[in-house]
Amino acid sequence: MLRTIIRLLTLFFAAFIFLIGIAPPKQAPDTFQTQAFARLPLKYEGRRKPVDTFARNLLTVLSGRQSIRTDDGRSLSAVEWLLDGISGKHEALDYKVFRIENLDVLSSLGLEERKRFRYSYMELAPRMEELDQLARTAFAKENRARDLYDRQIIRLSNKVFLFESTLASFEDPSVIPLEQRLATAQRYMQLERNSIPLAVAPHTGQERWRPLMSSLLSGPMTSADPLAMKYAAFLQAYRVGDVDGFNRSLMEYGSQLNEENPAAFHKIGFELFFNRLDAFVRAKWMYLLVFLLSCFGWLLRKDGLLDVAGILMAASFIPHTFGIVARCFLSGYPPITNLYSSAIFIGWAAVACGIILEIGFRDRTRGVGNLIGSIAGFLTLLIAQYLAGDGDTMEQMRAVLDTRFWLATHVITVAMGYVATFVVGGMGLFYILAGLFTRRLDAATEDDMYRMMYGTTCFALLFSFVGTVLGGLWADDSWGRFWGWDPKENGALLIVMWNAILLHARYGRMIRHRGFAVMAVFGNIVTAWSWFGVNQLSVGLHSYGFTDSAGFWLMVFVLSQLVVCGLGFIPSPYWKSGAGVE
Amino acid sequence: MNKVIDFFLSLKLTVVLLALGMVLVFAGTLAQVDRDIWTVMEQYFRCYIAYIDLYIFFPRNWNIPHDLRIPFPGGFLIGCLLSLNLIAVHSSTFKVLARGRRLTAGLLALILGVIVVAGVMFGWGTAPVAITEDDAFWRVFFRLGRGTLAAGVLFFACHLLYRQRAGMVMLHGGILFLLIGEFVTAHFAVESSMTLEEGETVSYVDRTREFELAFTETTDPARQVVTAIPHRMLKNGDVLHPAGQPFDIKVHRYMLNSNSPVPLDNVPAANRDRYPAYEGYGSRLYIAAKRSVSGTMGERNAPAVDVELIDRESGASLGRYILTTWFYPNFVKRAWDMPTHIGVGGRSYEVYFRPKREYLKSPSGSAYAITLLDFRHERYEGTQMPRDFSSEIRLVNQGDEVDRELRIWMNNPLRYARRTFYQSGYLPDDSGTVLQVVRNDVWMIPYLSCMIVFVGMTAQFILTFRHYLRRDN
Repeated sequence: MLRTIIRLLTLFFAAFIFLIGIAPPKQAPDTFQTQAFARLPLKYEGRRKPVDTFARNLLTVLSGRQSIRTDDGRSLSAVEWLLDGISGKHEALDYKVFRIENLDVLSSLGLEERKRFRYSYMELAPRMEELDQLARTAFAKENRARDLYDRQIIRLSNKVFLFESTLASFEDPSVIPLEQRLATAQRYMQLERNSIPLAVAPHTGQERWRPLMSSLLSGPMTSADPLAMKYAAFLQAYRVGDVDGFNRSLMEYGSQLNEENPAAFHKIGFELFFNRLDAFVRAKWMYLLVFLLSCFGWLLRKDGLLDVAGILMAASFIPHTFGIVARCFLSGYPPITNLYSSAIFIGWAAVACGIILEIGFRDRTRGVGNLIGSIAGFLTLLIAQYLAGDGDTMEQMRAVLDTRFWLATHVITVAMGYVATFVVGGMGLFYILAGLFTRRLDAATEDDMYRMMYGTTCFALLFSFVGTVLGGLWADDSWGRFWGWDPKENGALLIVMWNAILLHARYGRMIRHRGFAVMAVFGNIVTAWSWFGVNQLSVGLHSYGFTDSAGFWLMVFVLSQLVVCGLGFIPSPYWKSGAGVE
Repeated sequence: MNKVIDFFLSLKLTVVLLALGMVLVFAGTLAQVDRDIWTVMEQYFRCYIAYIDLYIFFPRNWNIPHDLRIPFPGGFLIGCLLSLNLIAVHSSTFKVLARGRRLTAGLLALILGVIVVAGVMFGWGTAPVAITEDDAFWRVFFRLGRGTLAAGVLFFACHLLYRQRAGMVMLHGGILFLLIGEFVTAHFAVESSMTLEEGETVSYVDRTREFELAFTETTDPARQVVTAIPHRMLKNGDVLHPAGQPFDIKVHRYMLNSNSPVPLDNVPAANRDRYPAYEGYGSRLYIAAKRSVSGTMGERNAPAVDVELIDRESGASLGRYILTTWFYPNFVKRAWDMPTHIGVGGRSYEVYFRPKREYLKSPSGSAYAITLLDFRHERYEGTQMPRDFSSEIRLVNQGDEVDRELRIWMNNPLRYARRTFYQSGYLPDDSGTVLQVVRNDVWMIPYLSCMIVFVGMTAQFILTFRHYLRRDN
């Protein structure tokens, strides 16, 4: 009875965590209907998305967050921040949104180091020429000759450009005197060559997506687009604080567009819901909780804790799954298209793997599956959150990579291979640490863990082999070279070979429990190298997603795994769990 | 003798070889930061003894000397030893378990399996002009399906012969097949490219990895004779005597890569002073040896050769020339065409140093040609990001009575006459297309071995899993 109550309470808790704040916030009719603005469609980087997504991504790129706090203590959502900016409010330029962490960059721009490292456009404005000069110098260097400082400068200058071009693409040219219109038109054409938000959806009389400023431009030969003028009208009303005018023009714009091109709103509402649900961030914290509960439950042999952990794990797995399915639905691509989505998927599969192991070994080794799965889920989602800082995570794919069949087969299978290898590595890690520092690793547990590791390695080999070969077949299908020794291919091959070594060493009785665990931990290094290290080389077709600190963290990870491998060689008498089997 | 056999019978050898292989693959990956993929492939993978550069393991600013190299078993050696090891272990551990009728049935099934594999490999029952008509998905799916069919028959045979061990035998057989396939590919596959402008008809391809010094005699415009000297014969200091020509060729220097031509006046005086006195373009342009390119994509090496023509009768010099692939129009995406014109004893020649040219022929021996009708390059709206490239072409082979209009686009190649034509690039302003043309007769092996290994491995793991479940109960 008590057990049932606890289980129910746990379920309620999980539901509460995932459901809080997913209903759209209520806005009184006499305030600015910013939520309605957030629902407007917009095309950016080739994908149609709600303004909400655009605002969130832009703010994340600039400041690494999805909301800002102003100097007078107000909290603004991404959409409100964007609206302040594009409507031309002056205070928008004072919001501290540019994140600059590099001290050398700060000092060369004459800025003081401050808590949170965020600076406003107005603070940067007087230094713009210097920044431009520095960025030019950095750009002139060959890619390999650039150091961290150069890359940070380029990054900051890109951020500034992104911010400026976004504001410029919403400006209203009707205030520009007629004699400057030609120059303005040329400036707009220049701007349109870059990737800028296209705010005005196709409608009667206009077949393409167009940026607002060009749609509003009128000259001797052209006149402003009447629909775009409504867009301009509500931005104007917002700027002067005219609530009624804003709401009225916004509704007019929305309903007219909906009438003339209802397809522009397709999936938009769902994407808003998806943004508010923020499933991956919530799941991340839940997995951390599951991990802690499982740790204590397993060490102290408290089945109740393990029970609660299991329920939370399953309850977090559902929104995680939903998030991945929703991303596929929204982007129209299979689950993995870039590093970010690979992290989310690998986390998902690791959690699934943990749940399966938990069910498979529930009688004798309870908790271990959840423990490994949850920590893998937490870490990968943490990595994903970090990777999301580059912009829209549902980007369109370049021509050569855009083949849904291969994305769906090769990429997923390879990712499953990564997952299985990581899970084995996680178990090896856990085996060594638990054996060395606790008394919990008794003979039966040891044997079970060994069997789990072995079984999962079999799957790891199967998936990584098939995935790698499928990748080769994709290459054969695209340019006639099954195996081209591309760095990423090599990385995948290394995983296959390592798993093969593990199995052959076992069949040849060269290693037993402990040896298997140590080798499994080394497998983590091989997999991490293949997943992230290869991208650091920045050669080859797969070199998307280069990040500076990724290299540093990869080194930290490799060293930590090597330390654990070393610990695995400590003779049995020093192990707290005793001599064990070996 | 027994020791040798024991050595090959040991699983320890397998583990050691795989570990050596990992080191090699890792080194070969790191080496690509500085060298192009083909150099790396030859230095590390497609050789018996590899020489691993020491500096690749350290940050480049540590300045480890580039001549420190460690000899190491190369890709071919490791592959061969692994194959021997695999065959040895299998023939000693996995004995045929069938007797009598079962043995006969097993052998018959095995023969059938081999026939199916051969059929799939050589494309029995596929269209002579194979192209994606509608959905790319099904094309690959069917190909894997054919692989699965072959794997199914083989599994049946292995199950009759080896019973419980069927999966194990099959998966290793599949690996062996894959290794053999790659070995054959390494030796016999040929990559070329084909450049076409809209409306142009082309009947030859440019080999990617081989070059030739081509003298086209243009004395009689109606009858052009080409004398081509392969790049392998162009050794520094050698004098070549092309048959039927009134001149000899002295090779001063062969350059693996050369810089894009720059006007001689823009070059620092020190370089200009050392620059030989060339005839032709070399008298105005500066072309010199350059470090080989790195990475796997984009850049290519532009080899060049510095030659002197010598009158065969009198032995007098006819002038020294620098000839680089930069002068060849297909190499620069048709940005320019710079043939070197030479006149010797009343005969006139047009000279290029160019990728080896190969004229297209179908297996029946009749020549064919491709015309580019239209090239399309789509981008995502509001970005410069390519969405798709496609080439509408017309394939004409009069001898075989083929005349078809076809579309080649990203990931959807044309397969015809043992060659595959892939969409690979485009000319400036989208005025034409560049196709990658590959001839590899064993291209189906990976599809087959993938499915063979998959079936074998799955069977083996299911067996192990059931074994475990039984032990649990």
